[in-house]
Amino acid sequence: MIARERLNQMKEKFGSAILRADLPSDRQLFVWLQPEAVKELCQHIFRDLDARYVISIGADDRPFSGGFIVAHDFAFDTDHVLCSVLTQLPADEPKIESISGVVPAANWAEREMRDLVGIESVGHPYPKRLVLPDGWPEDVHPLRKDVPWNHVPPEFKEGASFEFEKTPEGCTVVPFGPFHPTLDEPAHFRLYVEGEMVRGCEYRGFMAHRGIEKLAESVMSYNDIPVLAERICGICGCVHSVAYTEAVEAAAALRPPPRAEYIRTILLEMERLHSHLLWVGLACHIVGFDTLFMQAFRIREPVMWMAEKITGNRKTYGLCVVGGVRWDITPELKAELNQVLNKLQAEWEPLVGAVSRDKNIQKRTRGVGVADRNVVKNAGAVGPVARAAGVDIDCRRDHPYAAYDRVDFRVITATGCDVWSRVVVRMKEVFESIAIIRQCLEKMEPGPLQLEIKDELPVGRIGLSSVEAPRGESHHFIITGENNRPRRWRVRAPTYQNLQAVPAMIRDQQIADMTISLGSIDPCFSCTDRMETIELRSGERKTWSQKELLALSQGKK
Amino acid sequence: MQVVWAICGGALNVALVLALAPLLHGVMRRITARIQSRQGPPLLQPYFDLLKLLGKEDIESGETPGMQRLAAWLSLAAVLAVACLLPMGFGAPLNLAGDVILLIYLLTLCGVSTLLAGMAAGSTYSMIGVSREMMTMITLEPLLAVALVVGALHAGSLRLDAVLNGSVYTGGSVPWSGLIMVTVMLLSLQAFVQRVPFDVAGAETELMEGPLMEYSGPKLALFQLASMARLVIYCAVFAGLFLPWGSQVPFPLGWLLFWVKVFGLVLLVTLVAATHARYRIDQALRYFAGLLGVSALALVLASFGY
Repeated sequence: MIARERLNQMKEKFGSAILRADLPSDRQLFVWLQPEAVKELCQHIFRDLDARYVISIGADDRPFSGGFIVAHDFAFDTDHVLCSVLTQLPADEPKIESISGVVPAANWAEREMRDLVGIESVGHPYPKRLVLPDGWPEDVHPLRKDVPWNHVPPEFKEGASFEFEKTPEGCTVVPFGPFHPTLDEPAHFRLYVEGEMVRGCEYRGFMAHRGIEKLAESVMSYNDIPVLAERICGICGCVHSVAYTEAVEAAAALRPPPRAEYIRTILLEMERLHSHLLWVGLACHIVGFDTLFMQAFRIREPVMWMAEKITGNRKTYGLCVVGGVRWDITPELKAELNQVLNKLQAEWEPLVGAVSRDKNIQKRTRGVGVADRNVVKNAGAVGPVARAAGVDIDCRRDHPYAAYDRVDFRVITATGCDVWSRVVVRMKEVFESIAIIRQCLEKMEPGPLQLEIKDELPVGRIGLSSVEAPRGESHHFIITGENNRPRRWRVRAPTYQNLQAVPAMIRDQQIADMTISLGSIDPCFSCTDRMETIELRSGERKTWSQKELLALSQGKK
Repeated sequence: MQVVWAICGGALNVALVLALAPLLHGVMRRITARIQSRQGPPLLQPYFDLLKLLGKEDIESGETPGMQRLAAWLSLAAVLAVACLLPMGFGAPLNLAGDVILLIYLLTLCGVSTLLAGMAAGSTYSMIGVSREMMTMITLEPLLAVALVVGALHAGSLRLDAVLNGSVYTGGSVPWSGLIMVTVMLLSLQAFVQRVPFDVAGAETELMEGPLMEYSGPKLALFQLASMARLVIYCAVFAGLFLPWGSQVPFPLGWLLFWVKVFGLVLLVTLVAATHARYRIDQALRYFAGLLGVSALALVLASFGY
């Protein structure tokens, strides 16, 4: 009972402040605390117990318990425990001491909490607006329960623009984004450049808000949400869908049938395959090596066709329901999948050889975009970025979900901390994924695909789940609720943490390395920009209003 | 008679460069596509692309539209002026009008037009492109100058037909300086024609075409045509300087042979471009600096007659 051991360690120091603790299983730990002790306990967990920071969540719980809830999630990776430190705040004064001073990775999460739920983090080192549009009034917080999902405050100023910090002396400004050929989504890095050297940057993202969490909490039902969740990201849709269902299942203590778990594993790994192949290709394209880019895409294509045969869509869509899956893998599909894997392995090996031998690619990627252990720890970076820095974490092994506890695979790590190491990690992971799918196909027994759920899901329970997306850990936090939908659902995609490591990666590097450094975390801005009530956009220079743009785009149909 | 000959020859060269450059570009794209397991566009696609661009609205943008227009014309004009000077399968048409020095000036003018284009746009990205182009020019242009001077030293003349006829190999029993320069120029040909791995000034994924980012429509067509012609011109200079064999063969055959050589060089450029990643500007400059050192050695050798 390692989770209990951890709890006892916390009790030793903070016994009087801990109100109650839940251990629903040996893998999840919930500690309810007095608000005053949160910062110190988080510091203890993060520094002394060396846990990894995952995310902070703010929830408006006023209609149910009369107050606000704040949760800080941590992961004890070697102990296989996910831990949530929770506290309740009074409805009239939702303020809590900021933990960003001791846990730097919480910087964004706490700012977002203030923007969207209106929970103030007192003493935050950089309390600038993060998520809300620039013209949004200060006192309207979209994720509060008394704000309807389609509410636009009348005070909203559409033309307001973002105010950047002062440019450091001796530097010129190079705007990287909001639109740039290597960014497939809008995001803005304002680079402070001295000659060809980047000295610093400021990030303004969150430009395309889709209000996914608010929709889930106010409009949709449990089994609609997986379909919404997989649209969070254009690549790792299946990851979010599985992460959501696993979180609900953890909260409601449900266990899907084994066959369903195997099928989830297979499709997750197929997603990793096509994502890794795409990314290695893109990395080659960014450094100007288009031939390998094209070859990687050619090799990737059969995986997409296979996904289409299984799920009806090139993306692995529509797979999960709470308690099971929708799609089965028939014997014919199994045979075909095996063939695709054989071909993929045969074609991937020479490509890995070609990339590994190419001196040019190594020249462009070695020692570039360096994020060492320290940066990884402080930014809470995950996935290949962490593994390339020798941080041996992988949710598939550390917090097993689906059928990962029944398959053998290696967690690939490297020690270079640079872009090249990330390339190596992702290239090698392809072979592990192929092996995992083969094992699943081998071990899968016939059986039901879905659990029969007769009763309503319990209300007010909390569930956590971490799923290893191709780019890193996707973490979902859920509080179950009434009306067949969750009260609060918080998604933390890997890019959310990895992006916070980018300023450290690009500092004092050539501007030419900016694109490959940013590309090396495989940024997914749609994953990150996920929560807002309405779509609003405020450009720096205003030429078109949102209404005009909408009229323009809709009028052409 | 000589005047008529010069005019006809020059016009023929210009017409051929203008007409064949897009075709060679099409061949290049097709071969690249094959290497990448793609089908690739039709061979004539570059002609259609240029025609399409020429038919588009001529938009004035950037900080100084006048300079922008000038730069586009200048880039093509400089390349075509070089075409009049070069021996392309027959004697240099304007042999009496200019010498090797003029050739160096005109080729530098191609680069200068890119600089003007970038400065006319005045955006941050194009300025970075300009600074990269400038750094590249400073280290790159001397290489060509040295190669031509080595040829001129051996030929004992600055006349084009004397230098651009394999004169680099004429010094001593083992033409050391010529052999060194042919290696140096082979290693830097990719940079002269601005292709991967040395397309740092316009690197699409970093600078969004750098100096050319404000260009569109007809002006972009001029620049693109100039860039295609530039490839032909540099291959022609290379063929003249270092691949003289067969240039004495009478007109139709020798002339055909010349274009075969150019085609072979274009093929080489294509293959290298398709199998390399882009260098970063500092890595590229270090590379050029190394070549510059070696070419200085060649210059010393040539001045002592080797």
